[in-house]
Amino acid sequence: MLLSLIGKQMKMLLRNKQPLIILLVMPVVLITILSTALASVMNSEEEAAIQAKLVLIDESSWEQEEASIESFLKEGGVNGPALEALLQVFKSNDPIYILEESILDTKDISKYIAKENRQSTELDNLRKDKEIAGILVIPADFRFNYIKSAYFDEQETPDMDLFLSQENGIRASIIQSVLEEWQSGFTKSLALTKAGIPADGVMQNEQAVERIEQVLQGSERKIPASIYYTVGMLVMFALYIPTFLAGFALQEVQWKVYDRILLAGVPATLYAFSIFITGMIIALMQQVIILLYGKFVLGIDWIGLEGMTLIALSFSLFIGGLSALLTTLQLRTKSEGVANIFSGLVVSIFAFLGGSFFNIGDVSSLLANIGSFTPNGATMSAILAIQKGQLLEVIWSYMFTLYGWFVICILLSIVLFPKRGVTS
Amino acid sequence: MLQAIDLHKKFKTKEAVHKVNMLLEAGESVGLLGPNGAGKSTTISMLSSLIMPTSGEVLWNNVSINKNPEALRKTLGVVPQEIALYPELSAKENLHFFGRIYGLKGQLLVERTEEILRKIGLSDRKNDIVKTFSGGMKRRLNIGAALLHNPSILIMDEPTVGIDPQSRAYILDTVKQLVEEGMTLLYTSHYMEEVELLCDKIYIMDQGEIIAHGTKETLKSLVSDNQTIELKAHVLSKGFEAALKKHFPTANIRKEDEILLITMPQNEEPLATIFAIAAENAVTITSAIVKVPSLEDVFLHLTGRALRD
Repeated sequence: MLLSLIGKQMKMLLRNKQPLIILLVMPVVLITILSTALASVMNSEEEAAIQAKLVLIDESSWEQEEASIESFLKEGGVNGPALEALLQVFKSNDPIYILEESILDTKDISKYIAKENRQSTELDNLRKDKEIAGILVIPADFRFNYIKSAYFDEQETPDMDLFLSQENGIRASIIQSVLEEWQSGFTKSLALTKAGIPADGVMQNEQAVERIEQVLQGSERKIPASIYYTVGMLVMFALYIPTFLAGFALQEVQWKVYDRILLAGVPATLYAFSIFITGMIIALMQQVIILLYGKFVLGIDWIGLEGMTLIALSFSLFIGGLSALLTTLQLRTKSEGVANIFSGLVVSIFAFLGGSFFNIGDVSSLLANIGSFTPNGATMSAILAIQKGQLLEVIWSYMFTLYGWFVICILLSIVLFPKRGVTS
Repeated sequence: MLQAIDLHKKFKTKEAVHKVNMLLEAGESVGLLGPNGAGKSTTISMLSSLIMPTSGEVLWNNVSINKNPEALRKTLGVVPQEIALYPELSAKENLHFFGRIYGLKGQLLVERTEEILRKIGLSDRKNDIVKTFSGGMKRRLNIGAALLHNPSILIMDEPTVGIDPQSRAYILDTVKQLVEEGMTLLYTSHYMEEVELLCDKIYIMDQGEIIAHGTKETLKSLVSDNQTIELKAHVLSKGFEAALKKHFPTANIRKEDEILLITMPQNEEPLATIFAIAAENAVTITSAIVKVPSLEDVFLHLTGRALRD
């Protein structure tokens, strides 16, 4: 019996052009237009944001320290051609040179890290600059001390100072990962050299790029216009599903089909439950279609399948509950007023506050806070959090908001649904 | 047996139905006659358990349906005045849906659907979408949907409103056949000729109340036992009129707009005598109509208003 009711409601929906246009065609058209129109604004922000600015303050240099190294070697009894050969080995394995020339200045890495060489006198000012994600200070005599430590075990490995920005988390992580890779590389390289094995290829930029990609994957990614508006329109247009289902229910009452259903012994609660299930199924179908459109037409790479499934099911649950509530209110009032007010006013306000049109937080944090309590706003925030690569735990607060709405809708439907009939 | 006892229904301040008592015995066809707004549909809704009476009771086989409507609903078919169908679905899909919610399934559902489609004459249009149907076809399908679960009692609310004469005749034939097959019928209409044709017992309702009930004959006897013969002729001579008065001394004979009206008791059969007198007086009768009291006259007599006002 339940399946018959659901099947009938699905047929009514699918054989009407208006619901199909509003539930599928309109969101797809708007997603395409908004994604294309605002892509340059939102996506260029992403390009700039992904590049980390690294300032290199190198107080050490071969020119200053070569004489000290030479005299250190002579004191150790190294002279003549052996001295020249050793100096050549040290020079070619200079870790700072390798960092700059073989890693930071390469095309692959410079996409992610913009390097700038500055003087130590500027350090205080540089540390105040919020644009700078990291500052690497190489102290004076670093090369000399490094050689003594690395090749002659006469001193501890000299320290470098790395200042990372707290405000540019992801960019600082990129810098840190590359420098860690570099340190690890020259340690390995040194070990190989000491063992008489050529160390060519140990410190290559490929490893650094790989580390950057790992950092990016493990961190928030920026949301391009295509993702933002696909999600925004998805959560907005799902809100129209209950208005159509409630409209059909009112038609059934007006046509006296509802009387027939009750006379057949179908409990009013089962009828309301069928509306709830139908709303859920349609919401799920709509979300899947729009997400697939995003994937295959707009080329969106949806990540976090587990989180997305949880959100889609929870949002569908809410849409089902809202369908039951709007139907209840329409049957109670025996007019289309409730659904008209909902589709004409409430959906627009919710969409505005929830951020379907633009990020409301850019305008007012108060409105953004209010918006996060709307069911569509909470759902949108949850999906975007997942798409930024955040952990599943982050979305629970949004999900609880959604479940709160769901419980309210269901309780009101249970209390208010006309149990006997709606014939006046 | 379906019985209404002192049914009242009040909507806010308006009393739609007042102290209605009705009885439908098994196999009986009962008419509920009244003008639009008389309270027929509200009465039907209470009888079919769709709305609760403000006071009073409906009994199905001596058990109140107010608290336990299921027993009646299982065996009841209701044809509402509205086209209670899904316009976007085909005739077959509509019947399948209504059959399923009545618990029919599988082969039984298929067979009942085909049988009903044959009965209402829509077998060749079963796959067509209902919104493409004519008014008459929709009305027939509306009846078919109420018959799917093989009810023993059928309540029909104005089932022929707004359709062409051909479809109306088809529907009336179908209903007549159902009555002959033993279906208990409650038929409401403001078309008195339909009620007269189909029903053994008639309730006349006006302004929320049953103002008269009984068989057709009983009700008509409320008006008069007389019949009126309307005569038209090329020339109605005074001699012919005098001869009629001489032969029917108790009859009331008068002339109105070149039509001679003769009112006399219904037990007389005067036409042969009238034609003989006309021949004797060289009068050529062009039209003779015998008029007996109709339910319309009964309603007029009881309320002072015509039924279709």
